[in-house]
Amino acid sequence: MSSLDLKPRPKSAEPWSKLPGGLKQRILIASTVPTLVSLAVMFGMQLDFMAVLFTTFLPLQLLAGGWVGFTASGKRGVTDGLLVVVTFFFSAFVLVLLASVLYSVLFYGAGAISPHFIYQNNVYVTATTGLEIGGVGHAILGTLILVGISTVITVPLGVITAVYLTETRDKGRGFIRTLLQAMSGLPSIVAGLFIYSMLIVSGLSTQIGIMGALALIPLMLPTVSRVAEESLRLVPAELRNGALALGAPAWRAFFMVTLPAARSGIVTAVLLGIARIIGETAPLILVTVVGDSTNLNPLDGPIATLPTYMYNALIFGYDVSIQRAWGAALMLLLVVGIIFAAARIAVRPVGAQKKKKVKK
Amino acid sequence: MPSERRVLQAKPFQLWDRVFYGVAKAAGYSSVVLVVAILFFLGQSAWPAFEQQGVLEFIFGTGWDTSIDPPTMHIGPMLWGSLLLAAVGVAISVPMAISIAYFIEFLAPKPVAKIATIIVDLLAAIPSIVIGLWGLIVLSPVAAGWGELLNDSLGFIPIFANTAENFLRTPFIASIVIAVMIVPIISSVTREIFSQIDQDLIKGALALGGTKESVLRKVILPTSAGGIIGGTLLALGRAMGETVAIFFVLNLSYNEFNFFNILEPQGGAIASLILSKFSEAGPEEVNALLAAGVVLFVVTLIINSIASYIVAKAQPWRKN
Repeated sequence: MSSLDLKPRPKSAEPWSKLPGGLKQRILIASTVPTLVSLAVMFGMQLDFMAVLFTTFLPLQLLAGGWVGFTASGKRGVTDGLLVVVTFFFSAFVLVLLASVLYSVLFYGAGAISPHFIYQNNVYVTATTGLEIGGVGHAILGTLILVGISTVITVPLGVITAVYLTETRDKGRGFIRTLLQAMSGLPSIVAGLFIYSMLIVSGLSTQIGIMGALALIPLMLPTVSRVAEESLRLVPAELRNGALALGAPAWRAFFMVTLPAARSGIVTAVLLGIARIIGETAPLILVTVVGDSTNLNPLDGPIATLPTYMYNALIFGYDVSIQRAWGAALMLLLVVGIIFAAARIAVRPVGAQKKKKVKK
Repeated sequence: MPSERRVLQAKPFQLWDRVFYGVAKAAGYSSVVLVVAILFFLGQSAWPAFEQQGVLEFIFGTGWDTSIDPPTMHIGPMLWGSLLLAAVGVAISVPMAISIAYFIEFLAPKPVAKIATIIVDLLAAIPSIVIGLWGLIVLSPVAAGWGELLNDSLGFIPIFANTAENFLRTPFIASIVIAVMIVPIISSVTREIFSQIDQDLIKGALALGGTKESVLRKVILPTSAGGIIGGTLLALGRAMGETVAIFFVLNLSYNEFNFFNILEPQGGAIASLILSKFSEAGPEEVNALLAAGVVLFVVTLIINSIASYIVAKAQPWRKN
């Protein structure tokens, strides 16, 4: 009993956790000196930021990284130091670009948004009208309508396709999976052209909202079915087999055991599908007419969505209309965020007792 | 007690089971129907254009002029431009994506890795038109400066030559926009593959005296190469189909190939061609645009099929 000692190991007993003497100081020097030198060069010689970054900072930083690596573990350490520097440099570059995108949307968008920008439509607004009147209310509604219709059609189709891929033992599954993978790269404009050539060129319909919703289906389907497949695949086979062994027919086993177990994954699939299509612009430009007034009827007349609203505003190209585009971009991100948050809250795992009651 | 003998059946024998499996099968094959329908209807409407222009001439020829009779509508420069943009975009984004995946998976402390993951995933969810807006308003002026810098310092290399004294709306800028769009795709695929590498392999290599760098070069990259290549091809397909963002940041030139001068303000992209010509197109031109869509679709379908095949091969532990 006394031999079992559960006390944590003293810190001094972990030689590997200690850095060799002076290494910390060297790391500190190596990570600050190149920056300081480059800043001095930039302001001292009035050079461009990118020029300094690539001609002064990067070589110095590589040198410093190699030096630290060399002092830490000899010749073999040099490449290690270089690797760390290069990785950090590229990662920082990516993160800066991405942060720049997010920051500009938030910053410029916040400048354009006001309460009436959210609920008013665009009827009395020209390309140069100030931001005092007009907004994206009609576009938000249009986005919700079109994306809603696509979702209602695609989600059952996609989930059942996932069921086909996971629950059946059909021979065509490999082919269908490959096909769906390939379809996930379907250019969005081709989806628009498809609906245009099938329904509009042939004269069956004019450019109305529902055509946009149809054009979004081939774009959403692969995402939904692939993610739903992953989540169904994660359900342990024991659960399924247990239900079957208790005498449940396959469809009941699926609806009462597998599907509830995969619920949050299915919701993720729906969300990713919505995220895939909610910003699609090109197909909607081809098969719908962008309207300025509020239109709740997808079967008739022009209908605007947030992306097509942004597209039109950018085509105008005036400062004011570009500001409107930023505002619409921020609203688009907000709508995505609200949908995501709502769905996440809706599928928060509830207590296990509740489920048992339902079964009874 | 039931009197009849119970038989073990492999096939569904209940009516509802049959319906269940039937519906599932129908839904599964609906995607085949969808792809066939896309090819059929696009091909049907595009055929007149192919017939009038000649298939090879349409795909590889130059010039787009509908004012003459018969009209010339060839997409050679656009097709090449699409490939060029995608290639340069991929060349820019692959090192970044691998770096950030390696950073998140192996280098960064947990909290930093978490934040970086969130930012990268967030970017994957940003609609392309928002990135297009950012590319037009924020990036273009800055990147034009970078282009000028490249031209000043490396202008003697033909790739970086510029004769127009104008660095806006170049393939270079469009490629950066594409790179920003596809970095999240490549890095998320790469990260997934990195996280699935057998930890014993890495630990074994380290125990044998490997360093971070040699482990990356000799263990991590070789085992995940297939996945990374597949993810890159997926992103390439995505880049080929990008429409609106490129439409705003690239000057289309229909009449001549811009083979590799990425700093000249002229380039091409099939999807942007379709978007820019569509609103004022007559019936004949619409047919030609549909034909361009067919070409784009076929090219991306080929790229994506190869990609998904490679990705599937690269994950042998995945069973169907």
